[in-house]
Amino acid sequence: MKKTSIVLLSAVALFALSGCGDAPKSSPEAKTYSKTSAEVYEQSCKKCHGDNGEGNVKKKGPALNDRQAGELELDLFDVKNGGTNQSSGTDHDIMEHNMQKLLAKGYDYDPKDMAEFLEKSFYKMPSKTAAPAAEEAPAETPAAEAVPAPAAEATPAAAAH
Amino acid sequence: MLKEGMELIDAHFKEEGISRRDAFKMFGAGGAAMLLGSGAATEAKASSSSAKAKILIIGGGLAGMSTAALFTRSLDNPDITVLEPTATSTSYQPGQTLVGAGIWDASEVTYQRDDFVPDGVTLIKEKAVEFDPENNTVKTSGGKTLKYDYMIIAAGLKLDFSKIEGLGIADTITSRGDDSAVRKVVGKNGITSIYFANGAADTWTEMQKFIADAKSGKKVKGVFTHPNTPIKCGGAPKKIMYLTDARLREAGARDNAELTFYPNGSKMFGVKEYHDAIVNQFEARDMKWNYRHNLIAVDPVKKIATFNRHWKEKGPYDEDLEEYSIVPRSEKVEKEYDFIHITPPMKAAEEIAKSPVGSGKGWVPVHKETLQHVKYPNVFALGDIAAVPMGKTGGSARKQYKVVVDNVVSMMNGKELTSFYEGYTVCPLITSIGTVMLAEFNWTKKPTPSFPLDPTQERWIWWLLKVYALKPMTQYGMLSGRA
Repeated sequence: MKKTSIVLLSAVALFALSGCGDAPKSSPEAKTYSKTSAEVYEQSCKKCHGDNGEGNVKKKGPALNDRQAGELELDLFDVKNGGTNQSSGTDHDIMEHNMQKLLAKGYDYDPKDMAEFLEKSFYKMPSKTAAPAAEEAPAETPAAEAVPAPAAEATPAAAAH
Repeated sequence: MLKEGMELIDAHFKEEGISRRDAFKMFGAGGAAMLLGSGAATEAKASSSSAKAKILIIGGGLAGMSTAALFTRSLDNPDITVLEPTATSTSYQPGQTLVGAGIWDASEVTYQRDDFVPDGVTLIKEKAVEFDPENNTVKTSGGKTLKYDYMIIAAGLKLDFSKIEGLGIADTITSRGDDSAVRKVVGKNGITSIYFANGAADTWTEMQKFIADAKSGKKVKGVFTHPNTPIKCGGAPKKIMYLTDARLREAGARDNAELTFYPNGSKMFGVKEYHDAIVNQFEARDMKWNYRHNLIAVDPVKKIATFNRHWKEKGPYDEDLEEYSIVPRSEKVEKEYDFIHITPPMKAAEEIAKSPVGSGKGWVPVHKETLQHVKYPNVFALGDIAAVPMGKTGGSARKQYKVVVDNVVSMMNGKELTSFYEGYTVCPLITSIGTVMLAEFNWTKKPTPSFPLDPTQERWIWWLLKVYALKPMTQYGMLSGRA
């Protein structure tokens, strides 16, 4: 191998590997949403997921009050993106379709913010000793829409699909 | 300028070629040495702290051991215990694709756990079997009860071949360790899987038979699957197909083989730019694909794979949705194969999934940016077992372990968590012997290239990066908490 090749290759290696150490910056422009998560829930989600996230068996809308923000966010990410993995597909085939229709109607939301709204408003803690881990309050306060008291007779989670 | 320069270099090496020895010198030895140097940034960033706490790490694979290493470098008085039962847990899994295609030998990806335990870290060669996060204790398979102030869960995932009927497999396995339950069927008679170490070596044996058949003039069929669960290294099911294609071409036997990819999902990649690039690459190679097929059974004798083919049909009008509803439909379809590469369904280990730190889906639920558990603030998770979208690669673990260490050290000092994971993942998609598309992305679902080159192009320099640089970077940089 020629000397020049070695020099060139070293240059690439140096560049490539030092580049690897830097976290790529995600796009600086944050997406904005025309409705708050509370508004989206009130105007759309609740029709199939219940006033308090308890689910709606007739509409085959599963409960959303049985999971905390971390888990909900993963589900919402899956729903909005049609999966969280290259070719695995989604766990929410039907909702993925519906979500696209709802997004087109303006019911868009940030999955993290929506997950936090759902937990804060509806989450039924299975054990009273488990302290919520959220270290920060969601930025937006869903003033009037927030319904903190979960319905006593919440329907058990309807099988999604 | 830089961009043109790199394009030139890429073209130059494509023409000139490079011997393995030279490349190893450049990328291997040099690369590792350089990393030790560039690690200084990390070292400086992880501020040395005199805070004391008992840290328990569940799992000593790439994620767990790198976390342990960085803790020892970040704390003045580290008190760290790693639970890891498997002797080769620190092996280089990303190399299993190359083993499966006969480019590397199995010995080149096997590394002993005990060589990678950082100084001062206590290793217990057992696994965690019971979790009591209310009382900050864990029970081990050897009957010990361990108390912790902070627990980091990096236990990886299990390969669940039992979900596929007809193979006669009842137990789950990990990519390293006892694979006898699976190896009695997978790795023989044209059934392969690179997802476990011995399976990768067996894949190459079976692939050679497949290629020999094609070369002898027989018309053969290769089937490549992708399940309906999240998987580690989402690109590997395709990489092994690209490499099968390359080996067939090398043997001059490509025309006699039909290669088809059957993924459960309906796209090649979650990032549109990469999806489009892959579709073009498949077309250019006459590699076929058929979306929405989930492998549910294999008949090893008749060599038939059964898939659940699923699709959606228009249902009645839904007043609430103000749209027509959608009805799911599915049917079983059978496909003959001579060679099948199975990507098995994957899940979190039962003892974690069903414990208080687990979740409905099994994965450990964390705030995806801070990697802190949603219920227990002194518990963190990273690597394959963490419930974060898109992750499950060594590349994501490489970003995550620094976040976890930073945040735990902050907590130990009574500070806010200030380190955030952005969802970075990298998939060096091997598209032939000699080319790789370096697909880097994050939760923005946009390409996030680290280099000023079009990330959708297959390139020789990324092949060199994959084959010569990433392994030393991982084994000597990352596992010592330096890269």
